Amino acid sequence: MQVQTHRVEGTQEKTWKFSDIIGDPVVEARWEKVRRYFFLRESTYDMTNRCNIRCDGCYYYEGAKQFAHENGNPANWRHLMKDEKARGITYVVLAGAEPSLAPELCQVCFEEMPLGAIASNGLRPIPGSINYRIHISVWGDDETSLRVRKAKDMLVRQIANYQGDPRAVFVYTFTRDNIDQIHGVIEVLARHRCKVTLNVFSSPVGYNGPLRHTLQSLSRTRKTMMALISQYPENLLFSPYSAVAHTHMVGLHGLYSCSYPRMNTSTAIGLGRSFRQYRADLTWDRGAACCVPDTDCNDCRHYAAGSAVVTARLFRHASDPDTFKSWLDYVDTYLAVWVMGYEKDVNLCDHMVAPPGHDLPED
Amino acid sequence: MTHPNDISKIIVRIAEIMIDELKLEDVTPETFDPEIDLIDEVGIDSMDLATIALVLRDEYGIVIDEDDYPKLNNIRLIAEYIQKRVDEGKQG
Repeated sequence: MQVQTHRVEGTQEKTWKFSDIIGDPVVEARWEKVRRYFFLRESTYDMTNRCNIRCDGCYYYEGAKQFAHENGNPANWRHLMKDEKARGITYVVLAGAEPSLAPELCQVCFEEMPLGAIASNGLRPIPGSINYRIHISVWGDDETSLRVRKAKDMLVRQIANYQGDPRAVFVYTFTRDNIDQIHGVIEVLARHRCKVTLNVFSSPVGYNGPLRHTLQSLSRTRKTMMALISQYPENLLFSPYSAVAHTHMVGLHGLYSCSYPRMNTSTAIGLGRSFRQYRADLTWDRGAACCVPDTDCNDCRHYAAGSAVVTARLFRHASDPDTFKSWLDYVDTYLAVWVMGYEKDVNLCDHMVAPPGHDLPED
Repeated sequence: MTHPNDISKIIVRIAEIMIDELKLEDVTPETFDPEIDLIDEVGIDSMDLATIALVLRDEYGIVIDEDDYPKLNNIRLIAEYIQKRVDEGKQG
C-alpha cells in the first residue's frame, strides 16, 4: 500500500507528507498544542442510581446498569480511583444518574484523579472544591424541558447555579424537535457569558420516539450549527468538522469505527485496552462498555463518543492540509470542552470537509 | 533515507524517531531494546503509535494500517512490517 494522495481541483493528484502539512507554522503550533494531551486515558463512572428529574430518552434508565446497587462508601471509591490510576487511567468522567446527588463521592474522585468531567443536569450546584469540567445538559427551551424532562425553569436555574463558573460548559443536545430553539437558548447563555457546546441526540437501543433524528433533521441541525459557529465565536466551543462528524447520515461508528470496547474486541491498545464503564456498584462489563452505554450504535452521534473516536483517527486525517486542520479543530474543541484550563483557539478550517473515505453529508 | 533492506538500520531509525517524537529519556537509539514491549513496558499508546506511523510514512513511503497497530508492539516488528511493505511496493 502506498501513501495517500489528494486531488487538488484542476490539478494532478498531490501526495502530502506529514512534515509538509505541519510545515505551516500555524498548523505546527496547533499540532504541538493538542498533542501534549495525548496522555489522556479515560474511563467513566456512574456515581449513583438516583436522579432528581426523569427525562424522555434518558440513557441511564435503559439496560441493566440502572439496577446496580449503589455503593456510597467514599473509601471504596478512593480505593477504586487509586486502582484506576495504577492501571494508567488519567481522566475520569463522572456521569449517571446524577452525580451532583453524590458530591462526597465526586470529591473523593477529584482528590485522587485531578483531571475529569462531570455530566450533570445543573439543577444542583456541585461544590467548587471539585475542580472538574461540569457539563450541563440542555435539551431545548424551558417549555420543551418541561415537556421532555418534567422540570420547570431549567435554563434559569442552570444559569443561576453556574453563571461565571469556569468549570461549566452548557451542552445543547439537538433532538428532532428542538433545532430552532437553540437560537433563543444560546442568546440567553451568551448574554450570561456561558460557554456552550453542541451535541446530537442519539437514540437508546430500541428507542423510536419523537426525539430520534431523520436525514432531514440532521441536515437542518448541521446548517444551524454552521450558522452558530459564525454567530457566537466567543461562546461556542465547536468547529465545522464537528458539525460534519456529528450530523453525517452515517453515524460515528460507520465513519470512524468506534474504538470503545463495546464495538472493539481488541484489548491490545487504546480504548479497547484501558476503557471501563463502571456502574454505581463499582462493577463493569466489557461487553457494555462505551461512553454512553445502551445507545443504539448505528445512531450514535454523541459528543462524548466523537471526542474519543474522531480523535483516535489521527493517521487517516493526515492526508492533506484541510483534512488535517479540520481534525486539529475537532481535537482543539474536544480538549476545551473536557479539560479544565484548556483554551480553544480559532478554527483553522472555516468550511466543512468530508470525513476520510466518505463524502460530505447531503443537504 | 535509510536503505529499507537493512533491518538493523531500520530498527535504529525507528528508535531515533520514537525518542525524538515521544521525548523519551534515558535511552539512545543504540540502547533501545528492539524487543521491548512498547505498550506494556514503554507505555506507548495508540495516539503515540499514530504519530510514529505518520513520520514513518514520510520516511519510507508506506502506510501502516490502523488495524495493524495492535500487532506492532515492539520496534523489531515495526521494522519487519516496514520492510515487508517496501518490498511489496517494489513488486507492485
